[in-house]
Amino acid sequence: MDDLPLTEPVLLILLSLAGQPQHGYAILKDVERMSSGRVLLSTGTLYGALRRLLDDDWIERYEEEESSRGRQAYRLTPQGRRNLQLEIDRMKHITRLATLRVATKES
Amino acid sequence: MLTIYRRLLRLYPAEYRDLFAEEMMAVLREESDEKANRQLIARSRFLLREIVGLVTGATREHLRVLFEIEDGLSLVTGRFAMRNGFRFPKVTIVFMALILAGVVVAIRKGEAIATSLPDFSQPVTPIHSGHSYLLPGVFAGFIFFYAAGLVGWAIVFALRRSGVHRLADMSGGQK
Repeated sequence: MDDLPLTEPVLLILLSLAGQPQHGYAILKDVERMSSGRVLLSTGTLYGALRRLLDDDWIERYEEEESSRGRQAYRLTPQGRRNLQLEIDRMKHITRLATLRVATKES
Repeated sequence: MLTIYRRLLRLYPAEYRDLFAEEMMAVLREESDEKANRQLIARSRFLLREIVGLVTGATREHLRVLFEIEDGLSLVTGRFAMRNGFRFPKVTIVFMALILAGVVVAIRKGEAIATSLPDFSQPVTPIHSGHSYLLPGVFAGFIFFYAAGLVGWAIVFALRRSGVHRLADMSGGQK
């Protein structure tokens, strides 16, 4: 899997879309909230990431019945969800390994 | 502020603007409204972040279009790659071919000038003595450096793997 591991901003963007479709502004706020204000994405950075995720078919545009002008929602594709799950599994694996190594060293 | 954003959005490639400019403007508008009542320092920081984000974003998109380079710049969020930036740009082949063609043309021109000089019973020795080896040498050099570049790229490509596939072995060794 060449696209893994994901960077934190991209991981947070995908996590933001994991629950429900979101607009750009909602994603920015969600990323800020999830990272406790540590990751502050600019609009340029967010849309650079969204463009690449769209190109790689990890996310797709989501058409809402009631959508105001200029507000476009995005959601994960099945492939994006699968890749996100792979990344979470990878992180779990590293966390387990790190815990094991640190515990071994301390004992 | 919105005027500044609108002008900065013009820095993006046209195709990108068609897809995202309106959305980005809507987000910037919402963010600006939200920050309107904040302190001057917070607003300045926000403005700076957005300007840097838009400029670097536009540069990144142009680099992607021109050279097929992802993540040419990552000034805002540090390492921001969703995929590795080590891609072998196809335009490199074109540039190398152009350079080679330029060298060959220059050699031919030099030859033509040397042979067209009148009353030269003795040809210019340094040019003609090495002349027969020059073109093959250039080609050999081109092929050598091209092959070295490919090998280097292959090594980098191999190294870019995260190494996660080895973790199973490592944890297996723990048992």
